Amino acid sequence: MAADRNDNGLNKHNNSSTEVGGNSSPTLRRLLKRRWTDMWKGNPPGPILLLIGLFVALVMSVPIIYVIFQSFAAGADSWLRLLGGRIPQLLWNTISLTAAVTTAALLIGVSLAWIVVRTDVPGKGLWQWMMALPLVIPPYVGAVTYIIVFGPSGWARDLWEASFMYSVFGDYPFSIYSFFGVFMTMTLFTYPYVFLIASASLRKMNRNFEEVARSQGMTTAQIFFKVNLPLLRPAIGAGAILISLYVLSDFGAIAMLRYVTFTAAIYYQRAGFDIPSASVLSLVLIVLTIIILWIESYTRRKNKFYQTTNTYKAPDTLKLGKWKPFAFMYVFSVFGIAVILPIFVLVYWTVIGAEVGAIDTDFFGYAWNSILVSGMAALLCMVLALPIIYLKSRHPSPVSTVIDKLSYSGYALPGVIVALGMIFIFNNHIPALYNTFYLIAIAFVIRFLPQAMQAGEASLSLVSPRMDEAARSLGYPAWKVMFKVILPSIAPGVLAGGALVFVSAIKELPATLMLRPPGFDTLAVRVYYEASESFYHQAAPGALLIVLVSIIPLHYLLKKY
Amino acid sequence: MKRKWLLGSLSGLALIAAAGCGDNLENAAENENERNDNSAANEGGNEESYVDGDGELVVYSARNETFVQELLNKFEADTGIEVNALHGAEPLQLEEEAGNVQADVFISNDLGGLEYLNQQGLLRSHDSDNIDTIDEQYRAEDNEWIALSARARGFIYNKDMVDEEDVPSSMEDLFDEEWADVENGYAITRGGNGGMIGNVSALRYEWGDDRTEDWIDSIQENAAGIFEGHSDIRRAVGAGEHAFGLVNNYYYHQQLEEPDDNNVGFVYPDQEEDEMGAIANAAGFGLVNDGPNSENAEIFFEWVLEEENQLEFVGESLEVPINTDLEPPYEEAVPFDELHVQDMPLRELGNYFEDTRELIEDAGLDLELR
Repeated sequence: MAADRNDNGLNKHNNSSTEVGGNSSPTLRRLLKRRWTDMWKGNPPGPILLLIGLFVALVMSVPIIYVIFQSFAAGADSWLRLLGGRIPQLLWNTISLTAAVTTAALLIGVSLAWIVVRTDVPGKGLWQWMMALPLVIPPYVGAVTYIIVFGPSGWARDLWEASFMYSVFGDYPFSIYSFFGVFMTMTLFTYPYVFLIASASLRKMNRNFEEVARSQGMTTAQIFFKVNLPLLRPAIGAGAILISLYVLSDFGAIAMLRYVTFTAAIYYQRAGFDIPSASVLSLVLIVLTIIILWIESYTRRKNKFYQTTNTYKAPDTLKLGKWKPFAFMYVFSVFGIAVILPIFVLVYWTVIGAEVGAIDTDFFGYAWNSILVSGMAALLCMVLALPIIYLKSRHPSPVSTVIDKLSYSGYALPGVIVALGMIFIFNNHIPALYNTFYLIAIAFVIRFLPQAMQAGEASLSLVSPRMDEAARSLGYPAWKVMFKVILPSIAPGVLAGGALVFVSAIKELPATLMLRPPGFDTLAVRVYYEASESFYHQAAPGALLIVLVSIIPLHYLLKKY
Repeated sequence: MKRKWLLGSLSGLALIAAAGCGDNLENAAENENERNDNSAANEGGNEESYVDGDGELVVYSARNETFVQELLNKFEADTGIEVNALHGAEPLQLEEEAGNVQADVFISNDLGGLEYLNQQGLLRSHDSDNIDTIDEQYRAEDNEWIALSARARGFIYNKDMVDEEDVPSSMEDLFDEEWADVENGYAITRGGNGGMIGNVSALRYEWGDDRTEDWIDSIQENAAGIFEGHSDIRRAVGAGEHAFGLVNNYYYHQQLEEPDDNNVGFVYPDQEEDEMGAIANAAGFGLVNDGPNSENAEIFFEWVLEEENQLEFVGESLEVPINTDLEPPYEEAVPFDELHVQDMPLRELGNYFEDTRELIEDAGLDLELR
């Protein structure tokens, strides 16, 4: 629509209005045109580029807008019933879990980062990337392995009953199906976000500050709290937001551990096709998400830290001395529980599965379906990210900012809400596509496009706008500049973005579960189903495959932070 | 370097894992053999004239996938029609899709859901020569749905933990708080489960809404485990994680067939003269109005009513076939005519379906898991 105001559009509009309007229009036209050019700082984009950008932004935000609209249409009755009974309980479940997991993940992530980056813990170099490995295990897979190990009939119980513990303390006391079980699982598979961000920021920290502090007689502990920690604040904030948004959106692990948060409740309400309740709960969840985003941006605005770079000295390594064994034990036990144990369980059951023939043609069919929808989503994301990042970086204006922000709406919000909106829209308005696997691919694009955008933007920022200008001045039209000049230089970044999207899509569970057409199961769906039926030998091969695929972008993630 | 190290340790893990497989391997092999046996048996198939069928059939099923998939595989093998199944579908999805019908056949484990859809005009009637093998009380008025296998609600219990006398003998018993104190407590399913919906509807028929609401509150308060499905309950009770659980009778049959954890018993509640009788329900199917492949749906209708396929419908669930001429797949199953069963006509469940869901939702049992 905005493209109408562009040259051609304006002329046409003008021609028709001269007949009616008379003389005032040339002035109006000039005024509008100047406003328009000013808004783009003298560099408005071509109409096609702008149209594509607006279209993408619209597609990205429409499902959520639709859910919000539906929740208001649900009627006072639904609202009152839910507000009276369900919402307070769900709020408590959700907020307490989010707060607990975020806090614990921050503690573990920051402490591990500090030990690994700043001290002489044995194996320092290895730990720097090994502590990030839990990222390759999707929490619902992690939850399955913990049920196998710590569950009421798990390996830990067998060990307990075989040992003296049984005679001393009685029955196996640990319940994985409890707040603590969910809390532990979510924490162990999300702390690496904090670890990565905090490590990066610790590595960049200037030694001069610490030396000043030390010369004032501060101890290492005091330095940590007075110097290091404040400088880590931005990193901690960024990690906290990632983790709390993740906890809000997770479905698989939470459902398997029999806990109910907003996301799980929305899923169950949708499964029973209680659409009004599902939309009302979704709106509350959207508000929760926005509050978290707002808190983060608010605290970031209030805390600004500057480090001078010209006197930068790399931080020195602290000697652990007698604490060395303890630090090592700590690092190792986190690694043991969050990486070795799950991988061991998966390999164990995969071996059993392979021996009894669970890796059959069906299995490859599911794997192919996963690759099909994820690959489609990755391709679409790479293509759609280009016009948006190009607009943002080459034609900055309020319009491109809005397009950019709208593109993030599906990324920040849980997959269940995106899927819910898509069910409404396609069932009621685009029936031809409803119940086809294209819906899953579109949902993935809405969820993960920003991953492709971020990767592309990083590359594009390295290509000077002068290059475009040079190409334009030689007579290339805009699209040709895009394909001949820009694309070859940013291709690696775009491909990395595509790979990220592919992996996120392979792991994705709730939207796939909600949108899959009859007869179309993916690996993630099968892992979830087989594991919830306790057919672990059926679930493990798929889960292991997902974990292996997730290793692909790890290299990229480690470089990013 | 790093990569090699990682590979090395992974393969080390694999070796250790492979060395320790043992028991689990046997169980898994058994499970896998069952899956394969059934598909092998199906290939022999029957030599009817279906083989020239083509196209597809879209099946929505609310039953557990394990019980349904083999039936659908056999249909594919017998008729050459490709089946696309959506497992875990709930009745209201069909209502939501009424303007954009996706499914040809709906398979349900709760007649309430089927009759509800029928009352909304979403199912259609069809006929077959074999229709009379199913007693009229197990069919909709114009055969919009047909029930093929019956089940009754009751308590599966772990014989190592409790004696039969220490298990509730009636639904009313569950009002009592003492059941919260049984060792390891008892288990129920989430209120969204079809079996639980039927159970609550039957109680509303018997007691009215207020008393039923109290009953829901009691079990929600006192149950130690609230699970997504009944299979979880039978496994948990078998393993001694809970003393007893409220399930359908065939889950007891299934647990007895397990290689271990099978020392379980079953109590049919409310069997005394003056009591209400066991709550019954049935699994069945219906053809969806305006489905995209209506001819194939009719083929399915006729095919599934063949006696051999009625048995396949019962399949691994080990329910009791409604056709009394058929030998139950689980021989020791108590025949329905030897049970004191609640006198409610099963069709009646359809009248209760919608309000029951609301009642359960108000109590919060549909979202309770523990």
